[in-house]
This record gives sequence, structure tokens and C-alpha cells, in this order.
Amino acid sequence: MKKQNKTLIIALICIGIAAILPLFISNNYHLNLMIQVLINIIIVLGLNFITGLTGQMNLGTAGIFSMGAYTSALVATKSGVNPWICLILAAVMGIIIGVGLGYPSLRVSGVYLALTTIGFSEIVRVLMTNLTDLTGGALGVNNIPVFSIFGHEFRENKEIYYLYLVIALLLIFNAYRIVNSKWGRSFLAIKDNPEAINASGVNIAKLRIMAFTLTAVYSTIAGSLYAHYVGFMNPSAYNIEFSINYVVMLVIGGIGSVAGNIAGAILVTIVPELLRFIENYYWLVFSIITLLFVIFLPNGMLSLFNKKKSMKK
Amino acid sequence: MENNKESKTILELKNVTKRFAGLVAVKDLSLKMKERTIHSLIGPNGAGKSTVINMITGLLPLTDGEIYHRDTKISGMKAYQIAQTRCSRTFQNLKLYRSMTVKENIMTGMMMDMHQGFLPFMFDFKKARQEDKAMNEKADLILKFIGLQELSNEYPANMPYGKQKLTELARSLMLEPSLLFLDEPAAGLNPSERVEFVDIIMKVFESGIDIFLIEHNMDVIMNISDDITVINFGSKIAEGTPEQIQEDPLVIEAYLGDRYKKEHGKGGRKCLK
Amino acid sequence: MQVLIQLLITGIAMGFIYALVAIEYTIIWNATGLLNFSHDKFILFGAYMFAGTYVLSLGLPPVIAVLCTIITMFLFGIVSAFVIFNPLSRLSTNLFAVIGTVILGRIITEAVRLIWGPLPFSLDGFLKGSYKIGSVVVSRSHVIIILVCTLITVSLQLFFKFTKTGKAMRCVSENKTAASLMGVNVSINIALTVGISAVICAIIGILVVPIFNVELQMSSMIGLKGFASGVIGGFGHLPGAILGGILLGVVEIFGSMIIPSVYKDCLSFILLIIFLLIKPSGLLRDRK
Repeated sequence: MKKQNKTLIIALICIGIAAILPLFISNNYHLNLMIQVLINIIIVLGLNFITGLTGQMNLGTAGIFSMGAYTSALVATKSGVNPWICLILAAVMGIIIGVGLGYPSLRVSGVYLALTTIGFSEIVRVLMTNLTDLTGGALGVNNIPVFSIFGHEFRENKEIYYLYLVIALLLIFNAYRIVNSKWGRSFLAIKDNPEAINASGVNIAKLRIMAFTLTAVYSTIAGSLYAHYVGFMNPSAYNIEFSINYVVMLVIGGIGSVAGNIAGAILVTIVPELLRFIENYYWLVFSIITLLFVIFLPNGMLSLFNKKKSMKK
Repeated sequence: MENNKESKTILELKNVTKRFAGLVAVKDLSLKMKERTIHSLIGPNGAGKSTVINMITGLLPLTDGEIYHRDTKISGMKAYQIAQTRCSRTFQNLKLYRSMTVKENIMTGMMMDMHQGFLPFMFDFKKARQEDKAMNEKADLILKFIGLQELSNEYPANMPYGKQKLTELARSLMLEPSLLFLDEPAAGLNPSERVEFVDIIMKVFESGIDIFLIEHNMDVIMNISDDITVINFGSKIAEGTPEQIQEDPLVIEAYLGDRYKKEHGKGGRKCLK
Repeated sequence: MQVLIQLLITGIAMGFIYALVAIEYTIIWNATGLLNFSHDKFILFGAYMFAGTYVLSLGLPPVIAVLCTIITMFLFGIVSAFVIFNPLSRLSTNLFAVIGTVILGRIITEAVRLIWGPLPFSLDGFLKGSYKIGSVVVSRSHVIIILVCTLITVSLQLFFKFTKTGKAMRCVSENKTAASLMGVNVSINIALTVGISAVICAIIGILVVPIFNVELQMSSMIGLKGFASGVIGGFGHLPGAILGGILLGVVEIFGSMIIPSVYKDCLSFILLIIFLLIKPSGLLRDRK
């Protein structure tokens, strides 16, 4: 119980900081960055389910994210539906992707998910670029409406930040609940020892597909939030590099733990801005650091503070 | 033990054969295990014992033959489906979850009896909390039963091997099995741990769970088994009560050796009690 | 009819490229149990090194440039095996290996971008031109691709069958522990395998220089389709990889007659999903 109280206190302090931080920031650019951090946190939390817990690689974040964003954006612009409904539709799209892509890739054990998700991502990009009538092609979708509550439109960055903070906190809470429940444990069991969890009467394939569906839903929700915040979408940025960025966040922060995910997302989003001076070399340096992490500290930064969980082979 | 002959069959293997690319690991094996017994499968190294248990629990597909658990045909089913017929098992080489504490390890064992989906867990519904509580209580009960309650928050890697084996046993009990497969439970244990383990196996048996055992250690086998099947090179060479097995010339020649008979007089569970 | 034959040859040529990709990662997979997700970047690196440095900057004749590229890439493979693949193959779960090689790919891309710059370029006159056999016109690069790929495939098979090193590599792929007990140095074997794989990557890179421009995205699709052909043929199975690659190349080229060619890349993905759904063990491989 004591440990739970400690977690709660730390969580409240963090929420407090997140809530008052914008009051000291007037720079619009920094606010944009903070909103981006929130969106990234949501994606990394999602990625954690399939990659961090069940140990299956998902390299299709770009595709899933942009499917969510485009679903939301297209429905909102073409039919004028309320963005909130679009957000729900994006989540439904996440379920469709999760089951549709998860079923063929996760039924058999192996690294197939990594392959199919890369493929999926590329296909989505090709389709978004070439289905010009529907998606506007390379020019993309413009004038995506913003969220509104009781007629109040969230246009100012500060307002959007607080709105998204609330949504992100909800999703963080959900992720925390799932990771620390029987679901999280059985996902982790699949990574640690698939035969054993199978012998406990658990259908691994089904569980993996469920985990991937959760991942997809988190990513599509993040996509939808992103689309309604920036107001335009085009397919150019959503390539494999985009997907790898989130894997980097996951590894740097700490695989499997919610706090680690959040730390990773914040760090990898903010640090590039601080390291502007090495500009061109930034990704090279950062990738090398990440590789060192993978080899020497595979459980991420948080494992430095959490010595008890030493998990040597 | 004679009166057991009329009791029901809980596990039946009919002409089970397993081939690995030319090598015949198990050949035409048939055996019947009676209800409320401890049945042991013994044989020299490489006789195909673990293959048999892996086939029964669905980790390996059969080349030929059929396996029944009570009246359900379990050959051809997936491993998790077989487990759902209330067969659980331990592994020869421990398969614990390294990144989880003992209690968490044990709690994964009852995943299939937990029917709440994602949504309650996401939104903290009452049901999820009830289920969580039930799961915790059951885990505590079994930890106490096995005698691991002090270690419930420890990580498996930090515990002695014997305790790790007990953890795995505890996990398999969470499934509420009617039939429990133990794959070499005493292997790698020191003598005092072995005595402790045998006591626990007997306790488990007395709580109403039938046990199918693969074991190398003759003391353990002869002391606790009701029936023994001996296999060598994948075929059955003898079957019967511990007393019968100890006197079977084929078994002595293939496995026990003459020395064994001289050192050990009579066996059987009666001696233990 | 001529058109069909020409298309078939183009398809087979592309198929051979995919097959080589599949072979190149399959041998690493067999030796280490790791999937090299940076393999397309190896190809990219090879192509840039050949075209950018050895031909354009140093002005070497193509044959010598090819040799230099092969040697450099072999060394690069050996080094990355010791620095990256060996430590990764010792980690507890496969996941970190996947992440590690993905990140390695990112590092190579960044290095390539920094060394040779982000702008695409092409190599004029290298393997250009065509042959005319009867009324069928075949491009020279396609013929070379088919020849070189066949040569590599055959010599790899001979290497694995008849040389001592090759046999040792097969042992390692069967059982690492047993091989090391029998006196095979597993680390060196893995290094050699990665080295050979890097050489094959370099050759692929050189072969596709006439087909694509030399640019940072040139190999990502090839890499992906190589994976697909491996799955189609049977994962970890060399003959299957070749068959899968050729099948994919031919299906793709004839498919692009039916659907708009921008969607050509989708075909391999669809084929991949179909195989995963219907026959996940692939064409030539039985279930274990």
C-alpha cells in the first residue's frame, strides 16, 4: 500500500507541473512542442502494449497514426460531422486495423508483425498519396475543424494543451490500469515465456491480437488529436523513420512501464530542441545513444532507478 | 491398491507414436491412468518421457494415436485448449516469468478463469476490482498452501532453485487442475528440498488432484506412486505397482540395475506413511 | 508475345534481386536467430559507397570499384557483427535485437546522408544499353542481374555444402551450443555470416544502381519485398527464398499490367498477407 501512495504522490506532482507549466510559457512554439509531447506520450503508451509487453515489434506506427488522422480529418471535412464523433470513428478504425492486421500476423509466432506493419505503413502512404480524389494526394487535407465543447472552440494553443492534457491523463490512467492488471501480466508473460502461459490455458494469439488492437486504438486516437490540432494532414512525413522515432522513445524511457514510456516520450521530443546546435548530427548521435541503450541498458532509463528488477538472462 | 482397479480412467493414451524426422521417439505407447492415483512414467535418459508429457499437454503434435482426458479427446487440441480441460503442468526446465514477482507469476496461472474484458480494467468498474480481489485472495491461499507466502514479492531469479520449482507448481495449481503433470519435479533439488517437495506433492494429491509424474529419482517414485509405467526407447516395457516394477526382470535390466534391488527392499506409498 | 517475354525477363530479374535480399537476411537469421532489419540500409550503403565514392569521387573503373566495395562491405559486416550482432544475440528477448538492428539502420542512413549528402544522383552509362535476341529487346542490366544472382546463389550453395567454414556455419545455424562444444567458434562464425551477408547486400546495391537513382529511399521497398519473398517461400529456407523472390517479381510485373503501376508496391504486401493467412509456413517448408 505504501508503494501505491508513493506512486500516487509522484503522479500528482507530475500532473501539477504539467498543469501549471503553460502559465509560464508564452512562446507559441514551446506550447506546440508541449502538445506534441502529449500526443507522443499517447502513441508510446500504445506501442508499449504490443512491443513493450508482448514483445512483438510494431514498425507501423506511421501507417496506423495516419489512418487515424485521415479518418478523422476526412470525415470531419467531407461530411461536417462533429470532431468528437470523428475521434470515436478513428478509434473504431484502430480496432479494425488491430484485428485486421493482427490476425494474419500474430496467429503464428515469429517476427511477422514487424514485417506486415512496415508493409502496411508503406501501403497507407502510397494510398494517401495517390488516391487524390479522396485524400487530396500530396497536398493533403486542409481546414480540419477543431474540437469544441458546448460551442466553445479550442483554437488557442493553451486551450488545446489543457484539453489534450485531460485526454492524455485519461489514457495514461487507462494504460496504467491495464499494465498493472491481469492483462498486463499476461501480455508480459507472453514475452517472457510463451509456452508457460499457453500451458495455463491462455490463447496467446488472441491475447497478442488484443494487445495490438489496443496499440492501434491508442495510435489512431493520437492521430485524430493531431489532425484536429494542426488542421491539415499530408502523407509525406509518415514513413518508417516516423515509426522508428516512437520505438526510440520506448527504449530510452523503459520498456513495459508507463512511467518509463512517459519519460521517454518527453525526453525524445524535447531533447532535439535543446540539441539544436549539433543539428545535422542530431539523429546520428541520438541513434547511437539509443543503440547503446539497447545493448547495455535494455530496460531503459527507469531501470537505473529501479535496481530491484534486475533482469539478467 | 487393488480396489482401485474398478475406478474410472482419467487419462488414456491409445497407440501414441511420435516421429522426429526419421527418429522414432515414442512408439505405439498405450497407457491408462486411474482416477485418484499418482501415476509415474519412468525410464532411462532419452527414453521419450518428456516427449510423452509434451504430447499430452499439446506442446508437440502427435504423429499417430489418440489421447483422452476423461471422455474428452485432447489429442489434436491446442495447448491452451488442453489446459482448459483442467490439465496443468510444470516444466523440466523452469519456465517462470523473469520480470514478475512470485505472486504475479502465480496470478497469471488463473488467467483463463478471469472473464472481465478490457473495459472494466480501463474504467475501474466494480467488477474489475472484485475480480482483482478474488485473484489476489486465491494467490495468497495457494502461496500459503505451498509455503511461499514470505517470498511473494521476490523475483524468481533471486530465489534458490527449489523455491523456483515450488513457484511453478503453485502457478500450475492456480488453474484448479483435476490432473497435474509434473515433469521431473525433484531434478536439481538437494535432499532436504526433495523431502519438502515430496510432502507438498502428497498434500496436493490429498487435496483432490490426480498427478501424473515423470521422475528420475527412484526414491521419490517408489515412495509416492500408485502405478508406474516404464518406457525405454519410446516403448513400454513394464507397468504395474511399485512392488511389481521393482521385481520386473526387464526393468531391472534396462533401468534399475541389480544394485538397486539389494539396497531397497520394499517400496510403495504405504512405507512412507 | 515479345512484350510478354520482355516483361517476364524484367520480372525474373527483379525477382532475383528480391531472392538475393531474402538469401542475405536468411543466412543471418539462420546463424544468429536475428532478423537484420537494417539490411536495406546495408544495400543503400553499398550502393552509395560504390557509386558515390569509388566511381564518382575516385574515378575507379567499375570492375575495381565493385571489388573495393565488396571488400569494404565485408569488413563493415565483420565489424558490425562484433559490435552489434553478437551482443544483441545474447540478450534475453528477440525484441531488443529487432530494435537494435532497426536503430542500426537509422545510424547507417544518417551516416550516408552526412557523408554523401541528401541529393539523389545517378551513374550514367553504368550497365546501360540493351541486347536484342530475335525480336526481343532485353536490357543489359537485367541480364547482368540474372547472371550475377544465379552465380551467387550457386556459389553460396557450394560454399555451404563443400567448404569447412560453410559446414561450420550450417552447424551453428542448427544448434549454437552444440556447435560451440564441438569446437566451432560461434562468434567468428556469426561475424563471417554477417560479412557475407553484407557482401551480398553490396552486390544488390550495385546491381540496382542502373534501375533506381542513388537516393536515400532507394532500397527500402527492396528490403521489404525481400522479407515478403522470404515468408512466401518459407522462412529460413534458402531455396524457398529464391522461389518466393522470383514469384514475387513475376507477379508484380504482370500485376502492374492490370492495376495502375503506382499501386504495384501494394501487391507484395497483399501476397504477404495472403500467405500468412493461408500458408504461414511458406511454399517450400513443412511445419516443424
